[in-house]
Amino acid sequence: MSQKSERRGIHVDQSELLCKKGCGYYGNPAWQGFCSKCWREEYQRARQKQIQEDWALAERLQREEEAAYASSQGAQTQPTLAPFSKFEDKKTNVTTRKVTTVKKFFSPSSRAAPKKETQEAKAPSPSISRQSSVETDKVSRDFIDFLKNLQKPGRDIHKQCRVFLDTMANKKEVSAEEQSEYVQDFYQNVAEKLQVHFKGSSDRVERVMDQVEKYIMTRLYKSVFCPETTDDEKKDLAVQKRIRALHWVTLLMLCVPVNEDIPEVSDILVKAITDIIEMDSKRVPRDKLACITKCSKHIFNAIKITKKEPASADDFLPTLIYIVLKANPPRLQSNIQYITRFCNPSRLMTGEDGYYFTNLCCAVAFIEKLDAQSLNLSPEDFERYMSGQASPRRQDQDGYLSHVNNSPSLGQAYQNLEQLSGLGERQERVLEGARRLERDLIEWSDGVAREVQDILDKYPLEICPPASAIDSDNVENDRLPPPLQPQVFAG
Amino acid sequence: MASGGAGGGSKSYSFKVVLLGEGCVGKTSLVLRYCENKFNDKHITTLQASFLTKKLNIGGKRVNLAIWDTAGQERFHALGPIYYRDSNGAILVYDITDEDSFQKVKNWVKELRKMLGNEICLCIVGNKIDLDKERHVAIQEAEGYAESVGAKHYHTSAKLNKGIEELFLDLCKRMIETAQADERAKGNGSNQAGTARRGVQIVDDEPQNAAAAGGGCCSSG
Ligand SMILES: Nc1nc2c(ncn2[C@@H]2O[C@H](COP(=O)(O)OP(=O)(O)OP(=O)(O)O)[C@@H](O)[C@H]2O)c(=O)[nH]1
Ligand SMILES: [Mg+2]
Repeated sequence: MSQKSERRGIHVDQSELLCKKGCGYYGNPAWQGFCSKCWREEYQRARQKQIQEDWALAERLQREEEAAYASSQGAQTQPTLAPFSKFEDKKTNVTTRKVTTVKKFFSPSSRAAPKKETQEAKAPSPSISRQSSVETDKVSRDFIDFLKNLQKPGRDIHKQCRVFLDTMANKKEVSAEEQSEYVQDFYQNVAEKLQVHFKGSSDRVERVMDQVEKYIMTRLYKSVFCPETTDDEKKDLAVQKRIRALHWVTLLMLCVPVNEDIPEVSDILVKAITDIIEMDSKRVPRDKLACITKCSKHIFNAIKITKKEPASADDFLPTLIYIVLKANPPRLQSNIQYITRFCNPSRLMTGEDGYYFTNLCCAVAFIEKLDAQSLNLSPEDFERYMSGQASPRRQDQDGYLSHVNNSPSLGQAYQNLEQLSGLGERQERVLEGARRLERDLIEWSDGVAREVQDILDKYPLEICPPASAIDSDNVENDRLPPPLQPQVFAG
Repeated sequence: MASGGAGGGSKSYSFKVVLLGEGCVGKTSLVLRYCENKFNDKHITTLQASFLTKKLNIGGKRVNLAIWDTAGQERFHALGPIYYRDSNGAILVYDITDEDSFQKVKNWVKELRKMLGNEICLCIVGNKIDLDKERHVAIQEAEGYAESVGAKHYHTSAKLNKGIEELFLDLCKRMIETAQADERAKGNGSNQAGTARRGVQIVDDEPQNAAAAGGGCCSSG
């Protein structure tokens, strides 16, 4: 492989090193052969195009969505008005967004601008909205497909959702608490209608409500997650800093009933950490909850393997605290607030997800308030660890050593090293063998050649000139009489 | 029964019940016995015993019961309010052979009443009655105390499976009563009828008292 590219490198023409655009600068394979400047232009153009296409798609979907409903609604209502206004709405939305991004560039004083304007200026960058508009479209399509099965109530729900989203679009400046109230009231309204329709079958109501939540919150996410009207972001940073400062906290201090030395357990804990970090990437409250639940299930598994008995809350909570400390999940407070404000309440109050979520809230509260006592440390030790003057591991040399000896990952590393050196030896042996084989082969072929030569030398091949050549050097050939008939020779 | 009766036939309730008590009094054993009919001196097989659910049918009303175990260690004490927020019932367990654990229950009662008022149904549970000869908490004292704070007292043994069904059934009946009183109150007052939306918390004290009294009647009958 490397040889090949080297060889190719040798043959590279000077012109191939230059920017494909022909601007005279050198290009770079990382920028697909452009120079950095041309690449940026090229990339921007492609991205702009993509964004425009996505918007077009979004608008088309919007129209289709409305049309589908209009047609299925038939003569029942006048379908033209609603779709048209929706479409207009969307368009104005687009333009305001564009305008505000420009505004953002040209008004350095946007900080001092009135509240409304800062809100708008916070409109997401094109790249985010591109991503999200694709996701939003998919969610909308799924939602409509889902509602189609519900016939008439499905149409009603769809209409209700659209109207609600329109109202919310005008409520960007209200406080997060009010936004939450609106959304919760909306959930309740829809749920009540569904209760009537399904005659109290709460399972089916829940199923529809999940879809409603997904649809609504995917669309509202950008404007209501960590809004500027709150200090969510400040709290996020505070927690993040706090967790970083607590990096020295050990399993032992928290009385965590899991044994990280068991490779299986430490693998599971890594999964738990991944899950809790993943929460931030979800948009729907329920999906965020699902991440917490997945994380919790891993924790229970780890406890189960270590303790061989079902985990109680006294096992679970310390382990969850430990996982949160190790993971330092992004925007932790924002996520908790968002779930609290916008999750379907029945799920939070009594469901399993709600239990794990509550424990996560407890874990965060514990971490915020944590002091020497909560870790069974003396206040002096706690201070020294917090200030970084001492580390619990270095201080306790024995503990440190045993930690090294016991650390499963270190053990694994040593094992891997051993295996590697073993492999190296074997490879060396294989190479040696190959070299010997090569030598043998060369020797053999040389030997054969030599033998053949010897034999040839010993028994030189004397080639008798063919009979026809007997008179070939006879210069006066032409003067001879014509040759005798061949049969005479044969005879 | 006004609004409760109307939707009563098909209505289903979801209740959240928190388990509180000192370590080793048998909280985990109680729920495991109730939800999975298991008892072991060393629990086994269940993955976790911190969140368990049970579906019940009480007088034609469907009840989804969610039982929340809480971390009881002293250092987690301050987290209590996060756990019992929005709960409909609390089961406060002590070990009849351990006087301290009964003292802990008293502390919990004080705290719960302070934080949640009367809107939570309290059960005080003396567990391990199979060890009656080692009893250190007098029956009269415990029952008297429970009555004085508007709680109900139960005697259980997770080991012998005694008194546990009764405990949960009774608690459910009381919680249904409370919920129905709630609905009545809402029906009279605001337009916030029905579902569980931050339900139990938005009620003033008066109808709640009525509910507690009603619960008493119901359970005695
Ligand atoms: N004799 C007897 N022992 C019991 C009874 N209930 C529980 N135990 C025992 O008491 C011990 C503690 O029980 P758990 O259920 O783990 O207690 P817990 O309250 O959940 O304890 P923590 O989880 O530490 O808070 C176990 O060894 C049980 O076997 C009972 O009714 N009778
Ligand atoms: Mg327990």
